[in-house]
Amino acid sequence: MTKSSEPVPIGSMVPLTGPSAADGAEFRKGMILAAEELNARGGLLGRPVQPIFVDTCRQTAEEVVGAARWLIEKHKVHAIVNGYNIGPQNSEYEPIADAGIIYVHANTLLQHHDTVMSDPDRYFGCFMADPADYWYGPGFIKFISWLRDSGQWTPQSNRIAIISGSKPYSIVIANAMANAAADFGWQVAFGPKIVQTPTHHWREVLDEVRSTNPAVLANTHFYAVDLAHFQRQFMANPMDCIVYLQYGAMHRTFNDIAQEASVGVIVSSVIGLLRDEMGKRFEARYNARFGEGSTATIGCQSYSNMHHYAVAAAMAGGSGPPGDFEQNRKVAFALKGMIYRSVHGTIRYHPDWQAVVPYPVVTHDPSLGMPHIFYQIQDFRKSLSMIAPEPYNTERFIYPPWMSGRAAAAKPMTTAHNPRGLIGL
Amino acid sequence: MPSAVSARGSPPEVTDVPGSAKGERLDEIFAGLDVAPLGILIWSSDRRLLYANDRFRRSCDLPVEIGMRFEAFIATMAHSGECVLPTEADMWERGQSAAFGSESSEDYLFATGVVLNVTQAPTASGGMTMSFADVTAVKSNERALQFAKETAEATDEAKSRFLRAANHDLRQPLASLKILIYNCIREEDPEHRSDMLHAMGIATSIMEDLLGALLQIGQLDAGRVQPRITSFQLSQLFERLDVQFRHQAREKGLRLVFVPPRATISTDRALLERILSNFVANAVRFTGIGGIVVGCRREANGLRIEVADTGRGIRPEDRERVFDEFFRAEEQRAQKSGLGLGLNIVKRLADLLELPVRLRSEVGRGSIFSVTVPLGNIWHSEANEVEISETVAGEFVGTPVILVEDDDILRQTMTQLLQRWGIDVHAAADEAEAMRLIESGVSPRLIVADYNLKTRMGIDVVDRLRKAIGAEIPAMIVTADAEPRVIESIRNAGLPVLVKPVSPPRLRVLMHNLLFEPSLVNVAGPTAAENRRAFRDQE
Repeated sequence: MTKSSEPVPIGSMVPLTGPSAADGAEFRKGMILAAEELNARGGLLGRPVQPIFVDTCRQTAEEVVGAARWLIEKHKVHAIVNGYNIGPQNSEYEPIADAGIIYVHANTLLQHHDTVMSDPDRYFGCFMADPADYWYGPGFIKFISWLRDSGQWTPQSNRIAIISGSKPYSIVIANAMANAAADFGWQVAFGPKIVQTPTHHWREVLDEVRSTNPAVLANTHFYAVDLAHFQRQFMANPMDCIVYLQYGAMHRTFNDIAQEASVGVIVSSVIGLLRDEMGKRFEARYNARFGEGSTATIGCQSYSNMHHYAVAAAMAGGSGPPGDFEQNRKVAFALKGMIYRSVHGTIRYHPDWQAVVPYPVVTHDPSLGMPHIFYQIQDFRKSLSMIAPEPYNTERFIYPPWMSGRAAAAKPMTTAHNPRGLIGL
Repeated sequence: MPSAVSARGSPPEVTDVPGSAKGERLDEIFAGLDVAPLGILIWSSDRRLLYANDRFRRSCDLPVEIGMRFEAFIATMAHSGECVLPTEADMWERGQSAAFGSESSEDYLFATGVVLNVTQAPTASGGMTMSFADVTAVKSNERALQFAKETAEATDEAKSRFLRAANHDLRQPLASLKILIYNCIREEDPEHRSDMLHAMGIATSIMEDLLGALLQIGQLDAGRVQPRITSFQLSQLFERLDVQFRHQAREKGLRLVFVPPRATISTDRALLERILSNFVANAVRFTGIGGIVVGCRREANGLRIEVADTGRGIRPEDRERVFDEFFRAEEQRAQKSGLGLGLNIVKRLADLLELPVRLRSEVGRGSIFSVTVPLGNIWHSEANEVEISETVAGEFVGTPVILVEDDDILRQTMTQLLQRWGIDVHAAADEAEAMRLIESGVSPRLIVADYNLKTRMGIDVVDRLRKAIGAEIPAMIVTADAEPRVIESIRNAGLPVLVKPVSPPRLRVLMHNLLFEPSLVNVAGPTAAENRRAFRDQE
């Protein structure tokens, strides 16, 4: 290794404009905070880390591939570290694999497994730092079965209705839900029905669902605004069922539009900031740096990926520019071998998938997997209530207001030993 | 060591030790006795202690003093609580006192866990020598050997009984076989012959079942079956049992109902399946009319899985014995049905898994066999698929696609790629083959055609297939010809195009758009230019 104090260029492909601009802005902040913290402590083996951002706009294959090429060819980046880009379907892996650099992202795509396993040698540097979309399916089915079996909720039947958006992510999640349902005593009574998205018009499909009278209604589309319209239209004539809305319902925008109608909705994320001491300290740092309106739970993704990458590169003795396959293979080896507890749970790469595994659906050990967190909107003016899984949850499920005539579930006793009123401990 | 000698009192006179002065010789002798592997006490004829070696002082917690009386030593030993005495302390004390100067040998267990063998022998002068030997290891080995011997005898007895019964059960079908073979050789009537061959088939399958069961029991006895406890959904197991027994039950005209459970349980999945399949097999075998219901009930300590039948029931006096090996009820013996091993295997498996098995029965009404399993943690429940892939829940899973490609190798690799994504691929080498697929009932949701198909153009093939299906099925063309003229002509036909070698992510994006987001398919747009760029890159 030649000693140098030149900055290490790290690329970051973030949607700064387009439908995911809100998330993109947070991904950018996460990278900036991580770089500042790393550089304050001497950088990467004495070299400061310099993030270089490129806007991926609508996140199409063309835009993301173009962004990766620009970072590699113009800026000679040693790695590309970011949050997610939904749309390129791994097209961007090609220029990255050709250049032999490291790529860490949170694309949440099952296809990552397929691509990496199809040629592990070529895609040695491609890492997905969150669990694949697939896991939302069995994770959700286990969640509703847990509500049922632990007596927190008594479903009026075993029927599930599944609506999907038209993006691969939504379709995969809907298929995975349908696939896992029967094992846990559920019957898919409607769907998965793929609706052309984006859309604000859900009345027609809601009427179709209503005729099957389900106990659970899941919509795997993930645009916050579309979901807010969905929920408002659901509330115009609600059914006696749990409503699950994919990811986008975590956004402020969802509550802003859905308002009171959002109360009771279940939403989940396979990657999200934890509310433990580590998570709270991070949130405070993040808000102090970027202002109270910032969303640390999104920014934490690129933040942790950047920190993890820097530790791995230091372990490997440094990072490598495009073409330095040998050095970057060492970095990849370090990334794969290191269990890293981030502010949103554990990043531990599966040896074959080079993707993170979720807890508790795959690993039963919370120290070895990233928690698939279930939230409920209990007060639309406040932050989401984290209701599963243990040991991370801070609140518990309540009956949604539209389940008329239903008694609220009895609250468990809180004691000195069990201050959060957790059950099943 | 004169001080040591004086501490021991007046040593007995020692003579005739060659080559050394008397005092030195004595010292040597005492030093030698001190390290002897036994504790030694020597008593004079007037019952006073003459000598105690170092070994005794170190290994026994009984205080001794030269000149002390034998009675005092015995009294201390009797009441010290240091050792276990064979009789009550006072009685033992009297007995020992009376036995002074006689020969005896006895083992005592001391509080430290040590077993000492105490041997006493009279001396010529009327006194007595006592030796204390540590026999702990010997005793422990003796006990272990005794235990092993008893276990081996019991096992041997069980094995002999088992083998006698197995031998008996194996001989019966074997004897039938011999007779049948003998008769079959001479039988000329084909119908009789066929009957006999059928009977021979039954006899061999009985032997096969028996040997299989014996092997299972053998493995269980040898401790080769190691349970693997996991949490899983009982519904998965019920499904498998339903498939396994549905036909048998239907053949006998029985209703076989599995009440779908939704519980997560925690035990060894494969071994529980063996327990339940034995229950269900027995229920099907011994039920003539009615049916069998398999269901569950919550219990305080878990979930009771019950197999209830409307069979003949089991007499009270047989209810314990049905779980013995080779037990068969009298009627069963007469009918020669069953081997009498199934429930014994159940019992052994249940013992191994520590699951309680119960039987309730009423003669003439039916029986309920049940096993109670602990509930598991639903979050830890193992799903059916350990390995996930796009063939399980990818966006294209189960989508029927017709692929027309005349190059054998390309067709094969493309098929493999699409199948990996969960697509239901129907591959054809040319138009005629593709048409045959349509005629045989394949209803594709997408057509992928090569541009240059020897005798036909891909565009025309797509057109022909669409007409045959009667719908504008989404389609795309792949071509090795990157000529702008060719690309143009395909686009003019309204079809999107990819240039070979096809990049999997691009193929995926285009397929997704064609199937799910047709508004994003831009036939005349940048796709062709992108393709040219991709093509150049790969060159």
